[in-house]
Amino acid sequence: MSYETSDFRNGLKIELDGDPYTIVYFQFVKPGKGTAFTRTKLKSILSGSVIERTFRSGETVGEADVEEQPMQFLYANGDIYTFMNTETFDQVELQAKLLGDDAKFLMENLEVSVLFYKGRAVNMTLPNFIETKVTWTEPAVKGNTSQGVLKMAKLECGAEIQVPIFVNEGELLKVDTREGGSYVSRLNTK
Amino acid sequence: MEPHRLRQRAAIVHAVRCALHAAGFLEVHPPLLVDGPALEETLEPVHADGRYLHTSPEFALKRVLAAGLPRIYSIVPCFRDEERGRHHAREFTLLELYFTNAGYLDLLPVVEDIVAAAAAAVHAPVPTFSRRTVAELFGGAIPEDDDTYFFRWVDEIEPDLTEPTFVLDYPARHAALAEVRGEIAERVEVYLGGLELGNGFSELRDPAELRARFVRSAAHRAALGRAPHPVDEGVIDASGRMPRATGIAIGLDRLVMALTGETDIARVLVPR
Repeated sequence: MSYETSDFRNGLKIELDGDPYTIVYFQFVKPGKGTAFTRTKLKSILSGSVIERTFRSGETVGEADVEEQPMQFLYANGDIYTFMNTETFDQVELQAKLLGDDAKFLMENLEVSVLFYKGRAVNMTLPNFIETKVTWTEPAVKGNTSQGVLKMAKLECGAEIQVPIFVNEGELLKVDTREGGSYVSRLNTK
Repeated sequence: MEPHRLRQRAAIVHAVRCALHAAGFLEVHPPLLVDGPALEETLEPVHADGRYLHTSPEFALKRVLAAGLPRIYSIVPCFRDEERGRHHAREFTLLELYFTNAGYLDLLPVVEDIVAAAAAAVHAPVPTFSRRTVAELFGGAIPEDDDTYFFRWVDEIEPDLTEPTFVLDYPARHAALAEVRGEIAERVEVYLGGLELGNGFSELRDPAELRARFVRSAAHRAALGRAPHPVDEGVIDASGRMPRATGIAIGLDRLVMALTGETDIARVLVPR
């Protein structure tokens, strides 16, 4: 299976110089009186680093031999994070350095998508939204429901995010895990 | 589609028309359905009923120049197949203008005036353009082969053209319908907001040379397994009869993008 530049889209996983990459940006370019190109930014699935690469229109690249499996986060032991397939009970381990900042959103039993490259677990993707409790924050300012004023909150999963000033300790929040994490809403816990 | 952008677009188009009329340009309406879609081998036409939708009004407007109207423009939808992206739409709008007794450097103040009027219409700062030659942008040595030339253009040069710039003096092999002087095609491209807005020429007025360029383009296309563009006898005839002239095509959708900070052409267009 291979892709032409016209098949490029964000999230597509391609093989380049023997390594798997995810397309995170692509742009059709056609200089005046010239032929067409596609400019891309590619994120290495193995290292997480982002490279820039320009392809001629019509150039083909191979599909990366990757497969995604839903798995549950079990526990972390030092730098090793362990996940389990809840149907087969297969377990895989990922190094903390591969997870980067995403590790701070991992909670026991959280369902994530583990990425396998040539049969080996190499990375995982968090769900876009998680539910997690506030374990510490300054006391809520009563009656102040304005969205503009923010304060720091520590979450049960381990992350720290900015939340509106009316949020209390112990409340359950919906949190967007993308781009470092952000507050979405309070969830009714009564 | 973004309603606010459509309002800004309307304001820009109105201001551009007013500026052109004030400068003595006459609006003409070219046919969209044509027998000869293009000269350049890199343009893919959209086929329609055994003919083509034009890729620009260039051939028609040159016939109008040859018929004796000295300052003309069109604001018209154009069609280029296989061009899609945040800066490209298959159907887009060109502002194309020509005037006689002038060469490509005479385009620059005209373009500056049009862009200034368009900027004022959306309360954007009026850009000040600098001038750079292609040779300067390549650090003195223009690559001989097209592959290296365009790869370096796309990878190294164009990403740095973020300031308002007139790029001048292209290699003769990329002349398209421009007059050639020695190694140089008398061509200008306009960059604004990091976008290539338009392309202008000192117009070629040599029918034999123009016919030879059609033949070369057809050979290039044949080598790529593409159907050759038909030789357009109308533009060849017009090129021998029209006075000395210069002209430029400016992408109106991109002009709107550049002046409003819009990054996706889809938001300045009405969807199909």
